Amino acid sequence: MTVIRQEATSGSTGDWHLERKRAWSNWMTGMMFLLPSLILFGVFLFYPMVRTVYLSLFLTDSQGVPVVFVGWENFVNLFQSTSFQLSAKATALFVLYTVPAGIVLATALAILANQKLRGIGLFRTMFSATMGMSVAASSVIWMFLFNPSIGLFNRILAALNIPGVQWLLDPQYALLSVSVATIWMNTGFAFLILLGGLQNIDQSLYESARIAGVSESYKLRKITLPMLSPTLFFVTTVSLINAFQTFGQIDLLTRGGPMESTNVIVYSIYKDAFINYNVGSASAQAVLLFVAVLIVTVLQFKIGERKVHYQ
Amino acid sequence: MKKLWIGSTAMVLLLAACSGETEESVETTDATASTTEDGKTEVVFWHAMSGELETALNTLVDDFNASQDEYEVEPVFQGTYEEALTKLNTVAGTDESPAMMQVFEVGTKFMIDSGHIQPVQDFIDEEGFDTSIWEENITNYYSVDGVQYSMPFNSSTPVLIYNKDAFEAAGLDPEKAPMTYSELKEAAEALTTDAQKGFSILNYGWFFEEMVAAQGGLFVNEENGRAGQATEAVFNGEEGLNVFNLIKDMYDEGTYYNSGQNWDDMRAAFQSGATAMILDSSAGVKGMIDNAPFEVGVGYLPVPDDAERNGVIIGGASLWMADDIPAEQKQGAWEFMKYASSAEVQAQWHVDTGYFAINPAAYEEQIVVDQWEQYPQLKVTVDQLKETQANAATGGALISVFPEARQRVVNAMESLYQGTDPQEALDQAVEETNRALEVDAAKSGN
Amino acid sequence: MSIGKKVLLYMALTVSGLVMVFPILYAFLISFMQGGEVLQGSLWPESFSLANYFSAFERVPLLTYLWNSLVVSVLIMVGQLVLCSLAAFAFVFIEFKGREWIFYLFISTMMIPWEATMVPNFQTVQSLGWLNSYAGLTIPFFAMAFGTFLLRQQFKTIPKELYEASQIAGISKLRFFTGVVLPVAKTTITTLAIYSFLTAWNMYLWPLLVTNNEANRTVQIGLKQMQTQEIASDWGVVMAGVVMVILPTLILLFAGQKRLQEGLTQGALK
Repeated sequence: MTVIRQEATSGSTGDWHLERKRAWSNWMTGMMFLLPSLILFGVFLFYPMVRTVYLSLFLTDSQGVPVVFVGWENFVNLFQSTSFQLSAKATALFVLYTVPAGIVLATALAILANQKLRGIGLFRTMFSATMGMSVAASSVIWMFLFNPSIGLFNRILAALNIPGVQWLLDPQYALLSVSVATIWMNTGFAFLILLGGLQNIDQSLYESARIAGVSESYKLRKITLPMLSPTLFFVTTVSLINAFQTFGQIDLLTRGGPMESTNVIVYSIYKDAFINYNVGSASAQAVLLFVAVLIVTVLQFKIGERKVHYQ
Repeated sequence: MKKLWIGSTAMVLLLAACSGETEESVETTDATASTTEDGKTEVVFWHAMSGELETALNTLVDDFNASQDEYEVEPVFQGTYEEALTKLNTVAGTDESPAMMQVFEVGTKFMIDSGHIQPVQDFIDEEGFDTSIWEENITNYYSVDGVQYSMPFNSSTPVLIYNKDAFEAAGLDPEKAPMTYSELKEAAEALTTDAQKGFSILNYGWFFEEMVAAQGGLFVNEENGRAGQATEAVFNGEEGLNVFNLIKDMYDEGTYYNSGQNWDDMRAAFQSGATAMILDSSAGVKGMIDNAPFEVGVGYLPVPDDAERNGVIIGGASLWMADDIPAEQKQGAWEFMKYASSAEVQAQWHVDTGYFAINPAAYEEQIVVDQWEQYPQLKVTVDQLKETQANAATGGALISVFPEARQRVVNAMESLYQGTDPQEALDQAVEETNRALEVDAAKSGN
Repeated sequence: MSIGKKVLLYMALTVSGLVMVFPILYAFLISFMQGGEVLQGSLWPESFSLANYFSAFERVPLLTYLWNSLVVSVLIMVGQLVLCSLAAFAFVFIEFKGREWIFYLFISTMMIPWEATMVPNFQTVQSLGWLNSYAGLTIPFFAMAFGTFLLRQQFKTIPKELYEASQIAGISKLRFFTGVVLPVAKTTITTLAIYSFLTAWNMYLWPLLVTNNEANRTVQIGLKQMQTQEIASDWGVVMAGVVMVILPTLILLFAGQKRLQEGLTQGALK
């Protein structure tokens, strides 16, 4: 193989056969490396997804076996239902509430923790602690914090003589409250990744800045953020996709209520598929969600990659 | 390594391609039953009992296994009722299917329609088993057209729970629970202070269904789906409106506390004094008495002033037997069901969990008598059930889209707090439930 | 750094640290409370008795569950590391036709809502005879787009020239992969390993679906098993369970922190 390669790189111009052979061998090698992943994706993600698309055109019996072909009816029904419109709105708002705020918070914490101070390790551990918390465990704790009668938040408000808020029961606040809990849960991970990104920045850049005597905010804008941009891009992509698929805390904290204000699409899919056994409708929603995430991600790549500064 | 991967993957793909709808045809009836080392027939039992309930259930099962040497019941926790049912649904009719399964009450119609269950009536007939020892109001729920499909197991009903200390402080008689809506409203008004509201209902479909049935109202047409396939929801009639008006009026007067969808949130509100009266499950009464820092009173479900009290629908769950399993396993499941319904076992179960004894003779057992002496409130829950009239309303609705209907009702309850008109809220919930019924009918081709 | 600035920094660090950690501390406190105390909204337990922990261990076979979670998480972690690094290597160093396309195919898998895949996957695992086995609990998760993406970003920082030089020198691809790429990417691999472990540790619905007996169930199911609906949950016991479940992961974070830090600094120095 090596011999062929050497000939191809050093050999006469336009040796068509060798070029082709090399391409073929590269393709084979590439596939060897990718095959394990591709196979598992095929069996456990693409096959079910194709099946989902198929099922979205049917009414199914309770075991998920298609019984009546209805074409686009499941989709048409969704677009006409207020429930689905509310779900779409809740999903969009949830993404909007959690992603930017979460990233800003994690970045701020990472910059704060990127100082050379005694005992900084302890603070870093504290900031990353939420990464070790399961959604189930975290939700149980937040449920207590939000509790209108015994929860900490309302008792703080009471101490300040402000009337209590029904955090998870008022449609105005429920989605915000779940978002706050979600941001907390996600911060640990984003913090760790961003801290890693910060520590990878070439220190000599700061050194020259110090000699030039520029201000802190200038350093932040001109050195830190641009150099951190690949990491930020990565964290944003993952946060976006995760936000679209948030399920656990919704199930445990609000069950999609009150008045469907937190009934994000993933939760609605779960309800339709696992509780109401409307696999057809659930599949149609899954397809729509997939398309939505796809569009957002492609946009993010198109816009994001342009702004990212690679070293 | 890589070769292994490719090989196993090809197999995976092949198998995946072959699976799917064909699985239905798998015949397991002639399979031999699995046995334990000491030759007992294994009877796998899926349930949704968690926490202390699971401890009580495991004790019951252990006692059964020790009581005879032919069968070994193996209890397995399968998540919440919904999760357990989903899982059963995926394995029904295959080797993985359990012999016995606990299903919540609203899953009854779903189970009957599933085609994978063995009605216990066949065993009752075969043995000439006397079912009159069972509490009539409980067995009614789980029999359709005279056929007993499943065996009632853990049963509960809603009751009114109130804070006696708060009653006294408000100048009310702590021994007299409000029985009608106007008594309830008056009491709530007297109880309401800056820090305390009068009354609260969990935003959960079950309580609404119960309050409608208590007045003799139906949930769906066709005699609550028991005379034929229900095609329309009717809970937006007078009875349903009474309930919604009650909530709306009290909420507007500031005497009602919105406690959300979570049982424990509601209990926290009660125990911390945020609300002085709530509706709770009869099974939760004992825990409440043990944990509340004040005296707890228990009363019947209130009804409108001019309504006749019909009683309550039985809630909770029942035990189902799978159809596609070896005969010995069925027999084992049946033996367990019989054992579980005996007076002695039921007495222990009632004392341990607070669920009703499906066999009223259990209430004569000494442990129950002792318990009732200590917790006289428990007797109220049993009396309410005993006084229930057997009719279509208290028999409970039979529809397969029940979980969805409940979600719609919850949504309607929540919209009340946002100022929606009660009739409008109900009509919307009915409309959406009807749609679900329609889709369901289209699926089954009726 | 001036003293004033230091004080300010420490204050900011302390306040944000406390805010982040408070919910976890609260869980520890509740785990010592008795039934009534929790629902009346106490913040501090009347006494620090271990009774709840004993009940938690009595109620569910927590030790078995913890062991299973450990095995499952480690298997998934190793599987993901191997598959992801192999794939990321191909995406960065091997040029072949359709590479971009396959990369986007990988990325697109992140967007598939898992609720939609659950039932077909259950049927696949069932037909493979993988129910109640570590295979069914772990193998479906070995391929991960997120990890591949993360490692790809990291591998990209390795100069292409290095790879070309090694090719000319006749070093095999696999050798280059294990000898050069993996050591360089140590930091990211550690991060990914921790991430994989924690995610696997926290799975709930899938383990519930594919296991039918207590012998191979994981801790998150145990957590659910302690909560009840119709009768009051014993929150003290549930929180004791929560603490038992999060303790291993928190310890891992504590222990891994130093390593992580070193790795990260090394990355900065190169």
